[in-house]
Amino acid sequence: MRQELQNAIERAHAALGEPGVWWTAGERLKIVQETRAVHACSLCRRRKQALLPHGVSGEHDAATDLASAAVEAIHRIVSDPGRLSESWYRRTTDSALSDEAYVELLSVVAITTALDTFGRARGAAERALPGTQSGEPTRRRPKRAKPGLGWMPMLAPADVGPEDPPLYACAGRSGGNVHLALSLVPEAMMQFWDLFEAMYLPQHAMRDFAREYRAIDHAQIEMLAARVAVHNQCHY
Amino acid sequence: MGAIVSRDGDSGVLHEAALLAFADAAILDRAKLADARATLSAVAGHETMVDAAAVIAGFDAITRVADGTGIPLEPPKAVATAEWRAELGIDAFWSAKV
Repeated sequence: MRQELQNAIERAHAALGEPGVWWTAGERLKIVQETRAVHACSLCRRRKQALLPHGVSGEHDAATDLASAAVEAIHRIVSDPGRLSESWYRRTTDSALSDEAYVELLSVVAITTALDTFGRARGAAERALPGTQSGEPTRRRPKRAKPGLGWMPMLAPADVGPEDPPLYACAGRSGGNVHLALSLVPEAMMQFWDLFEAMYLPQHAMRDFAREYRAIDHAQIEMLAARVAVHNQCHY
Repeated sequence: MGAIVSRDGDSGVLHEAALLAFADAAILDRAKLADARATLSAVAGHETMVDAAAVIAGFDAITRVADGTGIPLEPPKAVATAEWRAELGIDAFWSAKV
């Protein structure tokens, strides 16, 4: 395996057990556990098969004591991401989950998904949870984050202040909408993209067709990306 | 692109069949994953399989980030891809309508 990829995986795995911005380390590991438990949830299975997911009621087969709003968010993001909607998001976050906590939860779910899908695909056993690091969430929200683009406020490159982490500049990120998606919690955004760019390509390499950066070429990479996006019914 | 979405043609991409079978098994059918992995490794090499696994895993995650935040396509991308999105049925995805 590429050393750069191995290093990114180790950083991402360890960070799951560190205190976040809105969740403690212990809570972040519960999000990981809940993410891994979704495949055994009978409600998720029934909803996935239903014409309208919200037409099926019931309780998730939760693996943790996380609040029900967090469990609902994790289970839907994992089991049926292509049918999430703004109305679902409003219902879920209105109860007991702030925009900021949701965004960090989404980042943890996405990182867990990336790590576990990678391990499974290459034939590795599921990794044990990392150790839990002590410390408290910083609960720092970017002052200039604005609503309007997606379902929650986001921090555009032009609005990044000196007090914010360099979430775009640290890796030459263009600030496309997909970069902005997790920007309400810059640290969560940077953790996800650090791993994603090692798995896919860094910004500068995406359209550098004169050089290949991986064992598979640009065409092979984009074909696989498109295929997975179709399977997950992702319009973006 | 039609070959990628519906697997009904030849895209001309090297090792297309083995790569797509590997992606399909990794996302949809774990029972076929060991065979798909072995086939891809045999025809394209172990490093190709590992980097393919990484791309599949990354996009299994980032699709959730995109769909879980409601971000729209950037207007220039929407214009540039309008024709083939309609042709491939991507505009019929639930996530395209909400």
